[in-house]
Amino acid sequence: MGAAPQQASPDQRVAEFREIFSRAESEVARVIVGHREVVRKMLTALFCGGHILIEGVPGLGKTLMVKAASETLGLSFKRIQFTPDLMPSDIIGTQVLTEADGHREFQFKPGPIFAHMVLGDEINRATPKTQSAVLEAMEEHQVTVFGTTYVLDPPYIVLATENPIELEGTYPLPEAQMDRFIFKVVMGSPKPDELREILNRTTGTAHAKIQPLFEPSRAPRAIEELKALVREVMVAEPLERYIISVIGGCTPGGPGAIPEVSQYLRFGPSPRGAQALILCAKVNALLAGRVSVSYDDIDDAIVPCLRHRLLLNFQAEAESVSSESILEQVVKRLRKPRT
Amino acid sequence: MDNPVETIGIASARIARLAAIRAVLCAVAPALTAIALGVLLEPIGKVTWTRLGYRLAPERAGVLSLVLIGAGIVVLAAGLIMAFRAYRRANDFVAAAAELDDRLECHQEIVTFATLANPSAPESIRARRTPLFPILWRRAIALFGGLDVRREFRLEVGEPLKRSSIFAGVVALAMVLATLGLVRAPTPENTEAAKLRAIAEEIARTSASSDDSALADKIRQAADALENSKLPPEEKKARIEEAMRQADKAAQKRNNSQSGKNQAAGKANAQNGNGNGKSQGNSTGAGNGEGKSESGAGQKLGVESSGSGKGNTGKSSGKNQGGKGSAKNDKNDQNKADQSSLELHDELAKAEAQVETANAKNPSPDKQPGADKNQGGGSQPDPNRPGNIPKPGANGDRNIPAAGGNPKNNKDMGSNLGDTHLGEMPTSTNAQRFLKPGEKGAALDIKDARYVMFRLPGAPTSGNGGKTVLDTDRPTATTGYVNAPLAPTSDDAPPDERQLVPPRYRDMIH
Repeated sequence: MGAAPQQASPDQRVAEFREIFSRAESEVARVIVGHREVVRKMLTALFCGGHILIEGVPGLGKTLMVKAASETLGLSFKRIQFTPDLMPSDIIGTQVLTEADGHREFQFKPGPIFAHMVLGDEINRATPKTQSAVLEAMEEHQVTVFGTTYVLDPPYIVLATENPIELEGTYPLPEAQMDRFIFKVVMGSPKPDELREILNRTTGTAHAKIQPLFEPSRAPRAIEELKALVREVMVAEPLERYIISVIGGCTPGGPGAIPEVSQYLRFGPSPRGAQALILCAKVNALLAGRVSVSYDDIDDAIVPCLRHRLLLNFQAEAESVSSESILEQVVKRLRKPRT
Repeated sequence: MDNPVETIGIASARIARLAAIRAVLCAVAPALTAIALGVLLEPIGKVTWTRLGYRLAPERAGVLSLVLIGAGIVVLAAGLIMAFRAYRRANDFVAAAAELDDRLECHQEIVTFATLANPSAPESIRARRTPLFPILWRRAIALFGGLDVRREFRLEVGEPLKRSSIFAGVVALAMVLATLGLVRAPTPENTEAAKLRAIAEEIARTSASSDDSALADKIRQAADALENSKLPPEEKKARIEEAMRQADKAAQKRNNSQSGKNQAAGKANAQNGNGNGKSQGNSTGAGNGEGKSESGAGQKLGVESSGSGKGNTGKSSGKNQGGKGSAKNDKNDQNKADQSSLELHDELAKAEAQVETANAKNPSPDKQPGADKNQGGGSQPDPNRPGNIPKPGANGDRNIPAAGGNPKNNKDMGSNLGDTHLGEMPTSTNAQRFLKPGEKGAALDIKDARYVMFRLPGAPTSGNGGKTVLDTDRPTATTGYVNAPLAPTSDDAPPDERQLVPPRYRDMIH
């Protein structure tokens, strides 16, 4: 399938979005068993123009999943294994002295960050200096090396992974940097059936072959058009107020904050959280065949969009209160505005 | 309908109307209840507290009735205001769309459409339409395809009426509580006034003459005066006496007219001759002066028949019986009139007595001892206090019949004459409680006697085998006993046993 036609009708564009999304999920599912929600969130983040933080133990197929998605969508893919001695230049790239025709000059050699899909494995193992280099690229979609700014080609998505174990010698991401990820998804262990399927697929001779949806040369543009379609989805004013009330309800001391929020949170979500909610809800609406957002679309997006934006206090840590449980309480107690 | 904007507009208007109706319905029941209770307070009182023997003062009943009617009107007005506000509030395009959205389960598509297609929304809102808006428009048309706004938004009166009935119950309860707080057990004056009014009603109902109507009016006035606490007792008594006079006059007139009729009947009987002894006897019976004018025809008919019916005893006898019956009715009516007249007199007399008793119990402030300038002690319960000594010509004298007859001749009558006994001491009129020696029977020398001893009868003999026991321990008198005859006591003339103290000594006695 090629890119969307230039003068396609709105209905065709919506239908095409749903088809591409569905097929991408199916193609990734050829190599990744289970984790449908993670795959969906990864694709959602791509079409929202955001980045995703995946938390899971090693060996769950995170790298394979991202690689499969990039192959499916015809996008370039790079992987960075973050280690404590990793330097920013190792990621961004650096100027190297080259000699050509008797002339020596510095030439910029792009790092692995220059790709459409970048997998930052165990990002919390790198030093904050290196982390910040990646985060600048994530936010600005550009890097600056020796005073020269290099723009990253769209679409651009960073998929960072965190290992919840072996936290010794790691550098947990600061809240400001966590805020830059649109989602944080938790990748759990596969179920027994899924594990059996994984074994069957990976220990035999058969290899699943992924069918790309776009030609690599046209893929970026097609993806960008689909991203534009997402932003065309309409949101009614009452729903915008609902999103605002959700953000306010999760902010300690904010309007409509429930007692648990004030008790267990130090800080609530930033406006980026609200942006993430709307964009994710828009993708959900398109996937449901609608061109307007519903309350259900928003509710589905609340936990993945806001769970990493809530800063728990000591009491919450001591009582093992998770941000997910607080968000569920907030959603339960909020009344959806009618007008 | 092809235009979803129109559909939402119609739904909005419908929702607003229903909201207004619901608001009015909420207020209607309590308002009507309050007004109805206010209007029907008197009939309700007749079947409830009046029947139970309690009384709600007319002025209080009037105020309560006005309050209830006023409250009803206020609630009704508030309901109308609330209805207007509800209409304004519910007449919202986006809110109506949200309502439709909920009912049709459209996942906020209609709300989004209404937000962007609201005719009254500013242009900046419309500018937020995206190229996908036509899809939303078509979706709205499809969703409204089978929609009937009237059927979808029906007038549900159950819930508002239920809520309204609760408010109505609250109003009724408030009225009941207010009534409980306001009703009182009737005073003797009220009871007497009610009886007088009943008699007046009876007179007004049964009689057609102007005298009887006037009498009924007088009785009513007397009843009103009796209940009116602001009227002085003299005025009350005057009204009652006026009614009595009117009653006497009416009774006298009735008697006069009756005697005239009896005379006429006697004449008629004399014309019949002596042909029929039985008939004569009957006529005599009717001529006892108790027959009424309307029975005259029957009597006459009976007499004529008997005169012409010689030898036809059965016929004449039958007709005479008719005449006899008529005479009997006359007698009954006369008896009734007499009875009611007596009853009226009795009630009026009771009313008068009631006034006097009330006056004795609650003397008017200007006649209270404590209010007198010469009495510094105020109204103390101690009878020895100077302030409690009745002044001659005040309360005490009024209750004591004057020795000379008419109490109006008493010089000290009325307390505004000043301290008249400084120069002329008033004569105590009822100071002697015992008969004078030799006044009745042989004189008993009980002068300086301090005790009067009575000999009690012996122990009673017990019956049915019981033993008779004599009380030998009983003390017996050593001297001969005397039984001093006491003068008959009079309720309305209490003995004036207290000694009057000249004012100049009053402050010295404590």
